[in-house]
Amino acid sequence: MLLTLDLNDPRPLHEQVAGAVRHAVASGSVLPGQRLPSARDLAAALGVNANTVLRALRDLRDEGVLEFRRGRGVSVLRPPDGREVLLRRSRELLEEADRYGFRPEDVIEIIKELS
Amino acid sequence: MSHRSRFLLAAGAWVVAVTGALVALPLVLRDRLPDPLATHWGPSGEADGAMSFWQALLMELGVWALLAGVAWYAALRRDAVRHRAPRKAAGAMLGGAGAFVVALQGMTLAANLDRPGWQAAGRLDWQVLLALGGAVAAGALGWLAASPGPDEPYAREPVKQARMRLRPGQRVVWTSSASNSWVAGLGVAALVAALVLSLSSLTVGIGGLRATAGSLAVAGVLGLALSTVGVRVSDKGVVISFGPFRWPSRKLALRKIQSARAEERSPLQVGGWGLRGLPGSATIMIRGGECLVVRYPSGGELGITVDDAARGAALLNALIAESAP
Repeated sequence: MLLTLDLNDPRPLHEQVAGAVRHAVASGSVLPGQRLPSARDLAAALGVNANTVLRALRDLRDEGVLEFRRGRGVSVLRPPDGREVLLRRSRELLEEADRYGFRPEDVIEIIKELS
Repeated sequence: MSHRSRFLLAAGAWVVAVTGALVALPLVLRDRLPDPLATHWGPSGEADGAMSFWQALLMELGVWALLAGVAWYAALRRDAVRHRAPRKAAGAMLGGAGAFVVALQGMTLAANLDRPGWQAAGRLDWQVLLALGGAVAAGALGWLAASPGPDEPYAREPVKQARMRLRPGQRVVWTSSASNSWVAGLGVAALVAALVLSLSSLTVGIGGLRATAGSLAVAGVLGLALSTVGVRVSDKGVVISFGPFRWPSRKLALRKIQSARAEERSPLQVGGWGLRGLPGSATIMIRGGECLVVRYPSGGELGITVDDAARGAALLNALIAESAP
């Protein structure tokens, strides 16, 4: 699996690693159903701590990109989908808005103002 | 006379001398030897196998021809004589193998000399150690004898293989592996059997159980180590690591690599599973299929069966091109 890290990226390291894995999956370097190299191998190749890689992999599992299976390692569930990520964020946004008493229509108005 | 022809002349003289000794000694002593000759000794030190005079002579010559042929081929292939390391290896092999076959011949003849039949041949035990020691010493002499002379640096040919584009400010790494669940299963089974045997040898006390357990344990560990291999490529070079614990591992610096490519190889082609072939054309065969082939500036190659090898080779070629001055 081919992974690219940007040396000038200011984001936390685990986000960078997650980004690199996400990019590798999206570009077809690993296909759905295929297994990822072990977290330890990835950590050794990238020169980072294994816990950083594990955190990145867990984030990607929560995004629905990866699947953890006991005894079978980590495999690709499906390529990351931009719409999927936006849906999750929008749901969070609507919940947040509801807490402040904004209805979905109000949020749509705000988004229209922004764009 | 050039250094190359001096080396070849000396090596040729050595080959002729050893061959002469192998042929002349038994012919001179033929009247005092039984026919057939004792040619094989068991672990107890007693002779347990025999061959006719000519068979034994031909076998000795065959072994020597094979060993000398390998050394000769290694010295001449791609004109390796011009470089010190392969020249020293060929010298060590010629010297050691020559001394070893002559010592073997001498031991066999001495044990058979003036005996009525091959069953009455003398015991061999410490002589074997002597022969091995002599071979090592002669190998060291061959090594030393081959070391003077030129050591031309290997020219790096421009990389023509597929390579990917690297952008500045980026760190690109590639990691992949190959594993063979059959070999892993056999390794685990051998380890379990070794454990059971060594436990039962404590209670039952049958001789030989412990030795069997020991060899099973060695086979199990070897099997596990060769059941999976991990390869990673980064700007530091290539790291090949064996076994489920990724240990032991072997590092290849970028400057020691000429180029890389992907190739299909099968166990049938390379002669089985595990570490196959001689240094210079070896393959780490875990499973048949895709193989990352790394080429050294000396012209030697190392193949490692690993998934996604084409991508790894392309990255490796790009890193080599970038690191070249």
